[in-house]
Amino acid sequence: MPPAMRDKITIHSKAVVPQDAELKGDITIGAGTIVHPKATIFAAAGPIVIGSGCIIEEAVILVNRRKEVMRIGDDNLFEVGCRVESPSIGNMNTISARARVHHTVRISSYCFIGAGCLLVPTEDEVLEEYTAVYGPSAERRVWSGRGRLQEADLRRKHADYLKEMLPKFNRLRRGDGT
Amino acid sequence: MSASIEYYCPCLAESPHPPPPHLASSSYSFHPLHNLYFCEECDAVRCNRCVLMEVSGYFCPNCLFEVPSASVRAEKNRCARNCFNCPICRNTLSVVASDPEAGDGRMSPVVSTTLGEPPFFLFCNNCRWDSAEIGITFEKPTGLAAQLQKFEDSAPEALEFEHLKEHFEPYLRASSSALPATAAHSHHHVNPITAAASSALARDVPGVGKYNPLSRSRVGRDKNAGKQEIPDYKSRVEIGTLGALGAGGGNSDVEFMRRLEDMSEVAKLEQRWVNSWTASLRSSDLKPLRIPLQVKKSKRCPACRHILIKPEQKSQSVRYKIKLVAANYLPAIHVSLPHAIAAMELMKRSSTLNKSLSSTVDDPSVSGLIPGKTYAFHLAFTNPLYDPIQVRLKKVQPVPVPSADADPEKARRVPFQVSLPTAAFGIAAFAEAWEYEDEEDMFGQDDDDLDMDGHGMATKDGRGKTRAVGVVERRANTTVVSGEVIITKEARGNIRFNMLVSYTYRSDDAEPAEENEDGTPSRSHAVNKAPEMKNFSFYTVVDLGAVVRREGSRSELES
Repeated sequence: MPPAMRDKITIHSKAVVPQDAELKGDITIGAGTIVHPKATIFAAAGPIVIGSGCIIEEAVILVNRRKEVMRIGDDNLFEVGCRVESPSIGNMNTISARARVHHTVRISSYCFIGAGCLLVPTEDEVLEEYTAVYGPSAERRVWSGRGRLQEADLRRKHADYLKEMLPKFNRLRRGDGT
Repeated sequence: MSASIEYYCPCLAESPHPPPPHLASSSYSFHPLHNLYFCEECDAVRCNRCVLMEVSGYFCPNCLFEVPSASVRAEKNRCARNCFNCPICRNTLSVVASDPEAGDGRMSPVVSTTLGEPPFFLFCNNCRWDSAEIGITFEKPTGLAAQLQKFEDSAPEALEFEHLKEHFEPYLRASSSALPATAAHSHHHVNPITAAASSALARDVPGVGKYNPLSRSRVGRDKNAGKQEIPDYKSRVEIGTLGALGAGGGNSDVEFMRRLEDMSEVAKLEQRWVNSWTASLRSSDLKPLRIPLQVKKSKRCPACRHILIKPEQKSQSVRYKIKLVAANYLPAIHVSLPHAIAAMELMKRSSTLNKSLSSTVDDPSVSGLIPGKTYAFHLAFTNPLYDPIQVRLKKVQPVPVPSADADPEKARRVPFQVSLPTAAFGIAAFAEAWEYEDEEDMFGQDDDDLDMDGHGMATKDGRGKTRAVGVVERRANTTVVSGEVIITKEARGNIRFNMLVSYTYRSDDAEPAEENEDGTPSRSHAVNKAPEMKNFSFYTVVDLGAVVRREGSRSELES
């Protein structure tokens, strides 16, 4: 990237970010967000701002290739090995394992992207709320949203558990400010 | 890999010799080794086409419940417990509870209830379909099929089917009692499930004359007499009104298609054809389907009726009580082309950067054979027996491939020449310990073996390629021999040739085996040595892959 982004990493005191996670560029991580070791967050051109309560698992790659801020909302789950370059992500989305989302897709809220789905449209588009993408050919449908409270509850418990366990086996990283 | 080998099962042919491999029909006679069985009594290879199959038990592939055969028909061959397929994506559905009633804020601060609330519904984890979308909910999370039964049974199609069955029931009963003895004595030792199934198949269908060449006229008259007894069937619904019920066809569908706005409103063909009868076009009408049951099959030898395969009764178990597979009797053969492997290695090394490996592996220009060249190929024989065996190979001369465009003289020429090692070579016995040994240890050992081996030493030509016919490598219970194929300029298509493999082994049983039984490859006594040696031979077809035409390969490389 031409003008190399200066690393400026801000991590909320209640977030869990191990030193093994690779962070590059201007990154802000919100309260209660869990980043697993060996995840990569790469703010190549513009900054990345991650909200609260997100879970970013191993081998996840988040990249911002655009100049604007890449905003990731709250309570999103990025499963093992997914790669997301989408410039904006709302709340309560699930990106399943090994899915790949191109920078032309903006994700609203409550979306679900199935395992291994490739979302690489050539033109910019926004995934409506409650969109489910599934199957080998990345078919789409709109789900009813029934069961989302239980899912949110489960996600919260998932994050609580990780918040307790991850620091036991990993050195945590603190933000630049502290 | 493009090179492969398949084994011959003589069940389709009258002669013991396999059909020439360039005929398209020959593929039905050749099978991969892992699909074949071996009958010890007949001393012959059996394939899935010739064995007798019997149902040994029904089970649900999802919950692994063993369904008693008596209730299979009543449950319409589907799981009657909690197993359903998603109507959209065929994934297995799970039962979930509804969300607790909470203020519709973005997220209630504490949702501590792990258990949801009563209206339960089916939920697909793959595509997020849920049964509440089509109005199916349950009061309790168990016995869902029973709860759905009333929907299912009240469907007009199901009612119609029941009605039809009821209508023909008295007639069926009368005709089945008329011929009880004929079906019974043809199955000597067949288990009751199979007997029931085959007698159901053999039962006369009312109105359809039974095919019975001997007593045809008499039976036909009987049927005609019987037919008069059944009154005409009156359908419950008029044909025309079926369209209105959403059962497909008619103006309502046309109207629906005309107003279509979104492709996903139409149920796809693969979503509809699992239904037993015509279903509605709308995807909103798709219902969750109970999961179809599966069976465990046991297999018998067609000649002597001995059991070749008998699975354990429990559906959770993947073991067999009896398992006579050919892989335990015949040496496993693996074909490889050294030049293709070398090319692949090179590609792998060069393509680690751009990661286009998957495309290069299938690329015929890499592993393909070029006309007018000579290639070596390796056959790795692995001995499954606990005794060492002696193997002798014999090729069946390839037949010229008749081609349409070439002139007859050209076509008569043999497209390729194969040379195989003619001397017999030994393969060491199988021992469990070898399974655990290090690869490297075995490599050290085979060098010594090679020196001891007298015939067919590998020689290296100027370019460092092994170009020889004979034993190349020996380790554990595997012996690799090398052959050579000379491809003529006119060759095209796949290089396939038949190979007769015969091997000598020490027999365990002392009783003298019966002599050649109608031409199947069978054991015959070798010269009587102290341990009785026996001989078994089988045919295989070796496929060395496709011949690439030069101009074709060049254009492929350019594109």
